[in-house]
Amino acid sequence: MRRTLLNALDRGAPLIAALLLLLIWEAACRLTKVPAYLLPTPSAIVHSAFQVPLSSWLDHTWATLRVSLQGYALAVLIGIPLAVALANSRLLSRALYPQLVIIQSTPIVAVAPIIVVVLGAGDAPRVVITFLITFFPIVVSTVTGLLATPPAMMELSRSLGAGRLRAVRDIQLPFAVPYIFSALRISVTLAIIGAVVAEFVAAENGLGFFIAFSTSFFKVPQAFAALVVLVSLSLALFQLVALTQRLLFPWSLPKTEQ
Amino acid sequence: MSTRLEPGGERPAIRFDRVGQVFTSSDGSRVTALDDVSFTLRRHEFVAVIGPSGCGKSTLLRIIAGLVKPTHGQAEIYGLPVAGPREEVGIVFQQPTLLPWLRVRDNVTFPMKHKHGRVSATEKARAEELLEMVGLRDFAHKRPDELSGGMQQRVGIARALLHDPDILLMDEPFSALDALTRDEMSFELLRIWAERPKTVLFITHSIPEALLLADRILVMSARPGRVREIIDVGLARPRSMQTLSEPRFHDLANQIRAQVFRPEALA
Repeated sequence: MRRTLLNALDRGAPLIAALLLLLIWEAACRLTKVPAYLLPTPSAIVHSAFQVPLSSWLDHTWATLRVSLQGYALAVLIGIPLAVALANSRLLSRALYPQLVIIQSTPIVAVAPIIVVVLGAGDAPRVVITFLITFFPIVVSTVTGLLATPPAMMELSRSLGAGRLRAVRDIQLPFAVPYIFSALRISVTLAIIGAVVAEFVAAENGLGFFIAFSTSFFKVPQAFAALVVLVSLSLALFQLVALTQRLLFPWSLPKTEQ
Repeated sequence: MSTRLEPGGERPAIRFDRVGQVFTSSDGSRVTALDDVSFTLRRHEFVAVIGPSGCGKSTLLRIIAGLVKPTHGQAEIYGLPVAGPREEVGIVFQQPTLLPWLRVRDNVTFPMKHKHGRVSATEKARAEELLEMVGLRDFAHKRPDELSGGMQQRVGIARALLHDPDILLMDEPFSALDALTRDEMSFELLRIWAERPKTVLFITHSIPEALLLADRILVMSARPGRVREIIDVGLARPRSMQTLSEPRFHDLANQIRAQVFRPEALA
């Protein structure tokens, strides 16, 4: 009896903790009478969420999702082949790596307005900003994975007299799968960040735009509601990438997660 | 790709002709790994190479495998100088070197898949046959990390035998295994070799293992690696646990031990 109770408590711990935190938040706001434009109560956030029409939520969410996924896809499509090239050519890696580090060291938020000026209105500048934020972790992690291929495996390939491309396809890339997916998981959440940053700079829709718009009218509960949607979106994409790995490459997961 | 030669007449299967190997390390110093090694293996002969670590045993194998070009002299297979990896050679590495993302049966057929991009039905059937031969028929669908070290090395052997190579190069294949598994694998290898005769070059640092397996033993000295003595084992085949207790086994073991530990100055 006691054991089952403890067990239930153990399983429900994350949810219970979250609910408790919300309760404390709600109580603290009501007791201290903090105005809603500074820190709204959870109930006020829920209430304001329902005052915004559903079609408007869908519009903004879709705009952010669209830009995130386009930038992310671009980063994957360019990042992985580039990583293969960098891992297999000393010359190329010596020539390009410093450039990549410079791009990564540049605060993208600072460059965003410039990109918007150059590329004008529309999705293009936002996709580029998202791409720039997501691209680097994918390249670095993939290169690390490719280079971590045990020399014995590469020697096996050489002893079979197969070409370099085959070694990449049959040995290096499969070996790098766990590395690639850890980057893909991080990058998909970065993609949301990229899209939001871009929307802060210049946009007429998207959840980032909606937050900026709401706060400028002191509709802080509404901004919080948008934040909740953003976090849910980010979590959902993260889980989707994890699920893809589980379905397509179950062997690449740590033994405990298989 | 490489042409497969019909093993012709009296030509030796493998010939090392005054092979020398000098490595230049990153700080510019030069290390002589092999010095003036000349040796021949007859067709279907089982030769073990033994010597202290750092005597260039593995380099010898890598040269005949076409993975390393010797700095001096040359290595030949059926009278042709080795210029790269050859079709008639199968290699078993020190570590099983299985690909963890492939099932056991796909690891066995990997050489074909890797070289030609596809695996024919005949090769698939042959892989099953080989897995049966190494006692792993029921593990064909497993992944390598579900197998013990000994089982993994059996898969490595099956993979090396897939294209029925005439020459088998083995680089301390059992050194990572525990002593009991090791003996078991030695007898296993002898059984396979009796079933499908091959020229075997077997690198080891275990004297009993070399004696149990080989027709002849090449004893090497350390740094630079030179051939110190070639020993005719002459123990009756088929060999078994009894072989280990024969007086000749012990005499030879002592003789080799003395050679391996003989100071270089007296050589």
